[in-house]
Amino acid sequence: MPDISLTVNGATRTGSPEARKTLADFLRDDLSLTGTHLGCEHGVCGACTVILDGRAVRSCLMLAVQAAGSDVTTIEGLGPDGEMGDLQQAMWDSHSFQCGFCTPGMVMQAAAFLSAHPDADEQQIREALSGNICRCTGYQSIIDGVLLAAERIRER
Amino acid sequence: MTAIAAERYTGASIKRSEDPRILTGAGRYVDDIKLPGMLHAAFVRSPMAHARVLSVDVSAARELPGVVAAYTGAELEAMTVPGPDALMALMGWQGPTPEFTLLATDKVRFAGDPVAIVIAESRYLAEDGCELVAVDYDDLPPVVNAAFALDPASPPLFANLGNNIASPQTRHEFGDVAATFAGADRVYDFHVDVHRHQNVPMEGRACVASYDAGTGAMTVYAATQSVHVSKVAVAMRLGMEQDKVRVLAGDIGGSFGLKIGASREELAAAAASRDLGRPVKWVEDRGENLTTSGQAREESFDVRAAVSKDGGLLGLDVKMVIDTGAYPGMGAMVPSIVEAMFPGPYRMTALGFESTAAITCKATYVAYRGPWASETFVRERIIDLIAKDLGLDPFEMRLHNAAVITDPPAVMVTGRPLVGVTTKESLERIAQLVDFPAFRRRQAEGRERGVYLGIGVATFIEAAPGPREPGEPSGPMSLETMRLRLEEDGIVVLFTGQMPHGQSHQTTLAQIAADEFGVPFEQVRVVVGDSDVVPFGLTGGSRSATMTGGVALHGARQLKARVIDVASHLMEASSQDLEITDGQVFVRGDPASGIPVGEVARRAASGEFGAEVDASLEIVATFDGGEGGWSGGSHCAIVEVDAETGIVKVERYVVTEDCGALINPAVVEGQIRGGVAQGIGAVLLERSAYDEDGNCQSATFMDYLLPTACDVPRIEIEHLETVPLDADVNFRGVGEGGMIVAPPTLVNAIEDALSPFGARIYEQHLPPARILELIAEADTIV
Repeated sequence: MPDISLTVNGATRTGSPEARKTLADFLRDDLSLTGTHLGCEHGVCGACTVILDGRAVRSCLMLAVQAAGSDVTTIEGLGPDGEMGDLQQAMWDSHSFQCGFCTPGMVMQAAAFLSAHPDADEQQIREALSGNICRCTGYQSIIDGVLLAAERIRER
Repeated sequence: MTAIAAERYTGASIKRSEDPRILTGAGRYVDDIKLPGMLHAAFVRSPMAHARVLSVDVSAARELPGVVAAYTGAELEAMTVPGPDALMALMGWQGPTPEFTLLATDKVRFAGDPVAIVIAESRYLAEDGCELVAVDYDDLPPVVNAAFALDPASPPLFANLGNNIASPQTRHEFGDVAATFAGADRVYDFHVDVHRHQNVPMEGRACVASYDAGTGAMTVYAATQSVHVSKVAVAMRLGMEQDKVRVLAGDIGGSFGLKIGASREELAAAAASRDLGRPVKWVEDRGENLTTSGQAREESFDVRAAVSKDGGLLGLDVKMVIDTGAYPGMGAMVPSIVEAMFPGPYRMTALGFESTAAITCKATYVAYRGPWASETFVRERIIDLIAKDLGLDPFEMRLHNAAVITDPPAVMVTGRPLVGVTTKESLERIAQLVDFPAFRRRQAEGRERGVYLGIGVATFIEAAPGPREPGEPSGPMSLETMRLRLEEDGIVVLFTGQMPHGQSHQTTLAQIAADEFGVPFEQVRVVVGDSDVVPFGLTGGSRSATMTGGVALHGARQLKARVIDVASHLMEASSQDLEITDGQVFVRGDPASGIPVGEVARRAASGEFGAEVDASLEIVATFDGGEGGWSGGSHCAIVEVDAETGIVKVERYVVTEDCGALINPAVVEGQIRGGVAQGIGAVLLERSAYDEDGNCQSATFMDYLLPTACDVPRIEIEHLETVPLDADVNFRGVGEGGMIVAPPTLVNAIEDALSPFGARIYEQHLPPARILELIAEADTIV
């Protein structure tokens, strides 16, 4: 088994995952970062989205060994010290979620998108999140949360 | 946590107490659980829809390093006891009861039927082990649809039944059906189909079963809508005493009716844990979820309608056939609910209803958000078809037939009173919000340019919990129980058998109790998900707003009275002069007299008041549903159909909803929008498809399409609030309505858009290819 080293939520982490182990399973099983969820394991639902070297990626479609040397942020590392950051706070204020299973992937996708497109309008946000499936909400509350976060970030 | 300032929490969109953990990745779902020595299960599943199992050889799997055990169906059967489906037993099912094993033994009955379970040190290794299991099958003819299932020549799936009938054909008549049809100006015949689709929660089924050989106790960490139903299921099938089974549930990633009790796979994992004396985790993957967890609907209806020439819907005569899939449970029980609900909010005076439930080689029929919803689809669809034939506006025909509020209330021909139903008001309000004449002008202009816009309206009622009938000891959903305790630090704890999986009960029940007891919202905690500590309960059937909201209110009132009684001794004041505000007991009118409720609890626990004073600050409350009542409302969709591509875009969606008094408007609106989104998926995207050999064709999210943020429009919601029926509890459930009425709303709008082509629609699933067929068929007819 190859030894890998990568940065996860700002800390250096090492491990020896089997070559076939996905990044998602490595994060969840080996690093006990269970905030990243698995919803389909074939890259469609987006629940497992993490930010890798600044880009939103599906951790179920990537092998852990491919992430060697990368800088990974998971939902646990998005806000300061595990607390809620601006986006999470805005989503709380907007009643964005219900069951919470799609939440980590949706939040990470939105975070990556907002950091690159802070002036995005509703339609652009909908398109950016259209690869993340939520079965509970009908999306409106999620979109409202992202819009609110964008507005607050712009006003600062 | 910062204190929330509100005059009353109930009625305000209080931010959810569930969210901080969910938004930071600190939620705890079943797959997040790791126990020392935990093993992982995977299943070998049948690739055939119907076959005799000649042999199952697990020996090679057992030899694979990392595999700890592998069990065939026969081996597992020797470790368990035969038993009925726990939910059917709970509901008192008296009809045909097929006998089957947890894992298939003599034969497999659908593609995906489990035949062996492999237990290994990791899920990867368990799946490797499954690859090494050799199963020898002998083909049998697949029973792929209800028509074949009901043919006496079809091979019976269950030997003890001798046929493929899960619920024999029955006929009931309400009112004078023959006379109503004889006196009608027009009689219409329709055949309407509803297609198979399914719940698809983002988290599939999952469990960790952990058996302790020392105590003989089983702990199951479950994703379930009821820890108690799961407990009973495990105890029954494993032959254990119920007190030895403890079911724990944490966060649950949705369900929509799927996760009631314990499935065959979960019971198999529990049996393996007991045999091995180690914890066993099973988390179904998406392929298993789509092909084996359960599917819903697939019902067909032959409907005769007796109509007067002015559009009066006088009566219906309905023949329903339901496809229950392979291991019938809920599917056998649904037709009776469909029958009771078929008249809806309309004043029809006759209903004939026949139904048959057929067993087929498909995944088992399960409850899905408004399991009886097809009655609304069929009724609301045929109203549009009839109105068009009579040259009437379907909207006016609905208004013409809707029962209005009268004293005494109108009664559905099937028996239940339509007390407090505001169908007429919700329709009238929809017309104000949408401006139909302006839409018709825009529609006409669009057609000149080849733009096909359509509008559809549909209306519904939802028994949430439904009205109480005179003389009944409780409402239609039995009593709801809650235990409440005041802790010595002043925290009010509610123990409920509700098992939220997205419904926000830990917020909404706390809102109600905080108001009633007189403490800040943050001082109320809602405990769920432990069968050893919560009373019996089930989250489902849109029951919790009324039933559990009601017991939270009355329970908090009872606990408050007990606290005030103790405080009256402590404060040497009459109970009548005491009140609780902001977590303190005051002598009314004396702001300096306040004592924190926690102080009262500490003094009560000290025993200083002696035996004369009942100082126990833990109570059990029950609620009978009060006066009950209906939820309901009307929906309107405006769609644009692209006649070149067949793509339907939902341009506008408006809801007028009456769920009585709102506990938390943001939660209510989330339930409605989520239901509408599932309805949009059901009509435009989703179908659990099988080929002619019984192979499931929708095993991935590339084949089973779910609505995305680009498919669901903003949904405009306006609340009507029914005239209060009960002195205190006028909250109504709202969980199912969106999914019940969105499909007919959308199909009505699509048919309206296609009216230049003369299309008539008798089905629910309208993906682009089907839209193009409808246009082509209509063109041919014209």
